[in-house]
Amino acid sequence: MAKTKRGCLGCSLPVAIIIVVVLLALFLIGFIAGPVGQSLFGNILPRWLSVPEPEIELPANVLFYIFGFPVTNTLITTWITMVFLVVFSIAATRKMKIIPGRMQNLFESLLGFVYNLCQDVAGEKNGRAFFPVVCTVFLFVGFNAWLGLIPGYNSLTLNTAEGVVHVLRPANTDFNTPLAIAISAVVAVQLYGLKTLKFKYVQKFFNFGRIFKSFGFLFKGKVMDGVIELVTGIVEALVGFLELISELVIHIISFTFRLFGNMTAGEILLMMIGFLVSMLVPIIFYGLEMLIGFIQAIIFAGLTLIFLTTAVSHHEEEHA
Amino acid sequence: MDPTAVKLLSVGLIGSIGLMGPALALGLIGFSALNGLARNPEAGGRIFTSMILIAGLTEAIGIYALIIAIILAMVVK
Repeated sequence: MAKTKRGCLGCSLPVAIIIVVVLLALFLIGFIAGPVGQSLFGNILPRWLSVPEPEIELPANVLFYIFGFPVTNTLITTWITMVFLVVFSIAATRKMKIIPGRMQNLFESLLGFVYNLCQDVAGEKNGRAFFPVVCTVFLFVGFNAWLGLIPGYNSLTLNTAEGVVHVLRPANTDFNTPLAIAISAVVAVQLYGLKTLKFKYVQKFFNFGRIFKSFGFLFKGKVMDGVIELVTGIVEALVGFLELISELVIHIISFTFRLFGNMTAGEILLMMIGFLVSMLVPIIFYGLEMLIGFIQAIIFAGLTLIFLTTAVSHHEEEHA
Repeated sequence: MDPTAVKLLSVGLIGSIGLMGPALALGLIGFSALNGLARNPEAGGRIFTSMILIAGLTEAIGIYALIIAIILAMVVK
């Protein structure tokens, strides 16, 4: 039997040419039906090929009210992510074997990746203790971002009193979800620090020990030493206060804005690209969005891990 | 000046000047990561992981500028 000619990518040359022609035709149709082609050629293609102009609104739309509590579309997607994670976990751990099946293998590789990261950064014992918080943050943020790319999100619409709203919207694009995760992570960091170091952790922020020592020097009559200790004591107290503000306020703000900004920019980018060229080009941007979602999850979880590690470690004497 | 003109001008300035800093910083991160990789190819995994983490942190500053531009353009009338 004669072998087929190995053209490009394993198919014969006529098949490859047909595939390229079909893809090019799709791209041209999408281009002409979009706004650029419409301004160049006019409306030559039927209406159902063109995408309506997207309206971008930052706050999430309320769908209905339960006992006066507004249920927005991002809240529904958060519930969907939670249900998905629970079902996925139960399905993966139902009949655990020593040589894992496919679902269990996938789950094990994902968790193993986060576990190795925890142990690399925080050491053996601390890594095991920090693993639940870090892995929860990673899985929640990651699957919020990934599930938001399934077709159906941002496309199904509902006619409510305020007009046409989307039923499902990726959960990280609402400002409240990153804020909630950031507050939980920061509170977890402070709780771990207080539990491990007890009073010395509070001393990191309210550092008045040197000022009291300077008063002791001044009473004993050593004026020069006393003044030096007083000045350095005041500087240390200010540094501690600055660290307090940085830990509580700036971490929450930067966590929130990083995740919210990345996800909202990605959503707006996808909507605009889908509007400009409706076929074939959005695939490239879908790949970019998947990568960005994964990287943002790693960054969120990794930063939480680093803050946990520094909060638990004993402050070595930095000043000789 | 006309408020709409000022708004559009400021959004354009944010997009051009505000995003220059993070772009330069990301280029420097890549430069140092490649330098370290060329000197010590065995530490490739750790260098790559650190580079991704630091790049994500620096990217956040560009995202702050983007958020300001989006809020100015779409929320302020």
